[in-house]
Amino acid sequence: MENAKNTKIAIEIKGIDRVFPLAGGGSFQALQDINAQVPEGVLTILKGRSGSGKTTLMNIVGALDHPTAGTVLIGGRDIGKMSDKERENLRRKEFGFVFQAVSLIPTMNAFQNVEFSMRMAGIKEGRKKRVEECLKMVGLGSRMHHMPSEMSGGEQQRVAIARAIAHSPKIIFADEPTAELDSAMAAEVTKLFQEMTKKENVTIVMTTHDVGLQGAGEMVIELESGRQVPQE
Amino acid sequence: MLRVMLRKCWAKRWMVLCLVLGSILLIATVVSFPMYRNAAFDRMLKDEFQNYLTEYGEWPAMQEMVIISKKEKDGATMARIESLLDGIYQQLGVTEKNNIEYYSLARVGAKSLMKNTEELYLRLAYMSDLPEYAQMISGEMYSEDGLAEDGSIEVVISQQCMVTSDLLIGETIEFDALKGVDGKKIRMKIVGVFEEADSKDFYWQVSPDAMDNVCLMNEKLFREYFTGANAAKYTITCSYYSLFEYEDIQASNAAHMMKEIKYLTEESPYRSVISQPAYLNILESFSGKQNKIEATLFILQVPVLILLGAFLFMISGQMYDMEKNEISVIKSRGSSSGQVFRLYLYQSVFLTLIGLGGGLPLGTLFSRILGSAENFLEFDITRELNIHITTDVCQYAAAAAAISVLIMTLPALKHSRLSIVKLKQQNALKRKSLWEKLFLDVICLGISLYGFYSFSKNQDAMVQSVLQGESLDPLLYISSSLFIVGAGLLFLRLQPLLIGLVYNLGRRFWKPASYASFMENIKNGRKQQFIMLFMILTISLGMYHATVARTILANAKQNAEYLQGADMIIQEKWTDNSSFASQSQGDITLQYDEPDYSKYATLKSARSYTKVIFDDRAYLKDKSDTIPVTLMGIHTREFGENTYVEKELLDKHYYEYLNELAVVSNGVLVSRNYETIMGMRVGDTITVYNKDNKNITLKILDFFDYWPGYAPTSLGLNPDGSVSRSENYLMVSNISTLTQKWGVTPYEVWFTLKEDANSDEVYQWVQDNNVTVRKYVDKAAEVQKVVEDPLLQGTNGVLTMGFIVTIILCAVGYLIYWIMSIRSREMMFGVLRACGMHKGELFQMLMNEQIFSGVLSIFAGIGIGKLTSKMFVPMLQTAYAAANQVLPMELITNQMDMIRLYCVIAGVMAVCLAVLILLVFKLNVTKALKLGEE
Repeated sequence: MENAKNTKIAIEIKGIDRVFPLAGGGSFQALQDINAQVPEGVLTILKGRSGSGKTTLMNIVGALDHPTAGTVLIGGRDIGKMSDKERENLRRKEFGFVFQAVSLIPTMNAFQNVEFSMRMAGIKEGRKKRVEECLKMVGLGSRMHHMPSEMSGGEQQRVAIARAIAHSPKIIFADEPTAELDSAMAAEVTKLFQEMTKKENVTIVMTTHDVGLQGAGEMVIELESGRQVPQE
Repeated sequence: MLRVMLRKCWAKRWMVLCLVLGSILLIATVVSFPMYRNAAFDRMLKDEFQNYLTEYGEWPAMQEMVIISKKEKDGATMARIESLLDGIYQQLGVTEKNNIEYYSLARVGAKSLMKNTEELYLRLAYMSDLPEYAQMISGEMYSEDGLAEDGSIEVVISQQCMVTSDLLIGETIEFDALKGVDGKKIRMKIVGVFEEADSKDFYWQVSPDAMDNVCLMNEKLFREYFTGANAAKYTITCSYYSLFEYEDIQASNAAHMMKEIKYLTEESPYRSVISQPAYLNILESFSGKQNKIEATLFILQVPVLILLGAFLFMISGQMYDMEKNEISVIKSRGSSSGQVFRLYLYQSVFLTLIGLGGGLPLGTLFSRILGSAENFLEFDITRELNIHITTDVCQYAAAAAAISVLIMTLPALKHSRLSIVKLKQQNALKRKSLWEKLFLDVICLGISLYGFYSFSKNQDAMVQSVLQGESLDPLLYISSSLFIVGAGLLFLRLQPLLIGLVYNLGRRFWKPASYASFMENIKNGRKQQFIMLFMILTISLGMYHATVARTILANAKQNAEYLQGADMIIQEKWTDNSSFASQSQGDITLQYDEPDYSKYATLKSARSYTKVIFDDRAYLKDKSDTIPVTLMGIHTREFGENTYVEKELLDKHYYEYLNELAVVSNGVLVSRNYETIMGMRVGDTITVYNKDNKNITLKILDFFDYWPGYAPTSLGLNPDGSVSRSENYLMVSNISTLTQKWGVTPYEVWFTLKEDANSDEVYQWVQDNNVTVRKYVDKAAEVQKVVEDPLLQGTNGVLTMGFIVTIILCAVGYLIYWIMSIRSREMMFGVLRACGMHKGELFQMLMNEQIFSGVLSIFAGIGIGKLTSKMFVPMLQTAYAAANQVLPMELITNQMDMIRLYCVIAGVMAVCLAVLILLVFKLNVTKALKLGEE
């Protein structure tokens, strides 16, 4: 049915529940019956207050965690039915990740960090050109050989973004990528994401609790205490 | 503050455990040194006294004094000496065994009241406690009050006195020239004749046989009559023999005893009357050896102590690194540097106190192990040393504890000045290590190679210092240690280049896992240098020490075995007609009476035996000179059955020499120096004279380099201190030829013993057969002496303990380093896993890192250890055994040692691997990432 639509669906989320057992017995329902369809090449904002379940949902969709109930389809494939290895290959080839905290490998410089994701995806040809292109895209063309410890937080985050896009993934998951940046920088990063969806035709799922940025997405999924807030 | 500290310790309990372990090992190692040393020295000193006793048959621990009190008023000298001697045991710090006083009046004329004989010259005397040690041959001992019914003094005399002076029991004798206090002539009555109850008792310093004019009376009576106020009228010779127990003498007391004795015999007012005691020599020779052993063992322990210190420093440094953030936060909130410092000081003291609690008992165990060391990593636990905790042990413990506190607190001194700003700055900086900038590796190697070069050039000087009883030259050992350190550092300098080279070779093709590990090593490798150096040092020192210990002991043992010639050699005392010959005027040829040879068949412990003529007082005549040589006469087949010489030592098989001799009855085999020094050739004839000046002419068949029991040269010291090398000439001929020419000639019997034979059986046999032994060689006992030699045993023990300690440190250190390094990177692993890295890849990445650091270090350590052994062990061997090493040195490495070493390393690596696997599989991606968000 969905396939009949004009645009292709990149991510389909059906009835996701996530229940965490608590240490003292009992359990905590982090997500309850989440449903969404994310079309390809769309910047999707996953919004909600801290503790609303954004990261939990993102981890499930990003194949880092398993839902208690429900299914996630990536390009029509049910990732719940995949083996660990298949999920890992999915992550390294088709996904890109940007994390809230600085997540660069400290022993590699900017270039090497970006190139590393291409190595992971098994890309052997044209790495140098692509890495340079990506670093230029995030505005760091002149700082390619700097170590992470020699860059500011914003610069590091932009390297992380370049790394997430370098192997041309289908989907980029960005968990609070702007949390440690000032608002101007945050706006810049968001703008970068918007550009990337156009240029690279990549689907981006980005969580944020920053109200100022929540309007930037073409699509919004809003959570409140683990429940989906219907969008108008 | 105490609560804060305890909470902090609990939070970092694993690190704290490591620190405590390090502290315990440090203290145990340090205290085991004086504990073992004291116990081993006590044993050694006891042995020295024992040897003296067996050799001379005299009580070695005795102080002798003789004074003559010549009509001195009140006998003042006597009284002074008596009071001096009352305190002498205490003064020397020894236990009294027996204190013998022998006072005798001057010899004066006397007359028997019973028979009219010529005038007698007798002396009245007393020996303290005589009734206890004498037994009566006839008559009885003097009575309790010492007076007979008629008021005369009761005396006892020796048999010798009875015969010489012709005295009878019951006789009353009056001294003409000896008047009592009342002015009357003194009379005495002989009541008995005595002899020693036990002639071997050391009470009998003066034998009754020597008392041919002495009449012994009651001590109390003697004192009443002749000493004190009455002393002014008599001349009394007073002999004092102060015997003390040598078994109780503690080595630590030796220096004090020597000082006291020297004072008494050289400086005190009594110096002229105290004779130089025999034990002074024993003590002096002992203290020379003691110093040598002490210094050598200490030098050998230094590397281990340094490693221990480094371990403590590394762990505490690691711990402070982990706490850097906390410290900087505390500091930024206004705590003073002093407060932070104090916190760490308290912690160090607290941990060191636990270390003391564990270290002292462990040290006792260590010293027991040291004392039972038989070989490297081999112990005989049945042999126990008497371990005490003495004051010097406590001092060592205190010093070790102080050092432990210092090392643990040292990093805090650096960090207590740290604030959060400085921390950020520090993290951003990447510097070359200090040693790299200072070229410490090159310097260490340079110094050690210089040492190596100069030592190998001056082997003679080394031999000389060993003969002079000096300890192992610290510089030699330091050279070898420096070589290891330098080579280890050099490897650390080269290792990144090597890794870089391999990385660059496959730069484009490395899989993500390998790529990440290369990057980690290239960028972060410097952090691992310390632990890598630690591993290299542990392994190479371990290998080096194993080789040193094995080589020294094995060579010493082989040498001892070789020098004995056979399992056992007995030479009986032979009787001859020489006493008869000297009495008669005519020329009578010397003739020996051969003891019964067939009785040796009854010695059950012997497997086989043979007659050997062994004459070390034979000589050659060379124009006007005589050249001393040793002449052996052997039965070739039997000799071959009882002796052996290793193939490697001879040009041809040992038995070929024997065969050559067997077929030529007037042939002789001679040592190599007949050829090299005397210039003789095969076929030459030599005329040799035996110790009885009988001669025989023999034809040279062959030259040999080694022969059972034969040392080609002897080393000694010239009076000027230089080394003298004297040649030993040996010739071996057929025993039948010698006896044909010379008649019956004294021979030794050389034995091969059965496997299970023991020397007690032989002693028993010797006693049962009433054999008077002139020469007795027991190979097993000689070899045992080598094994128990405190220097060798201590060396083995110290090296073994050092090896075990370093292995423990290395294992713990490496594990700690790894766990810490991995835990600090958990978040990054989470990122990698999130980006889709497989568990296998992550594992491989960490494995690679282990290979780059650990495995490479292991190989470097093995290589450096082997090289160091090859270079330095021969020289150390010289330093240990120069004086009596006869056989060529052989480098001994025991495959088992190496296998043990590799097993331990493999074990450590396996544990590391297990930790890695556990970690990788437990790693929860979402949790690891959460970690990063906090």
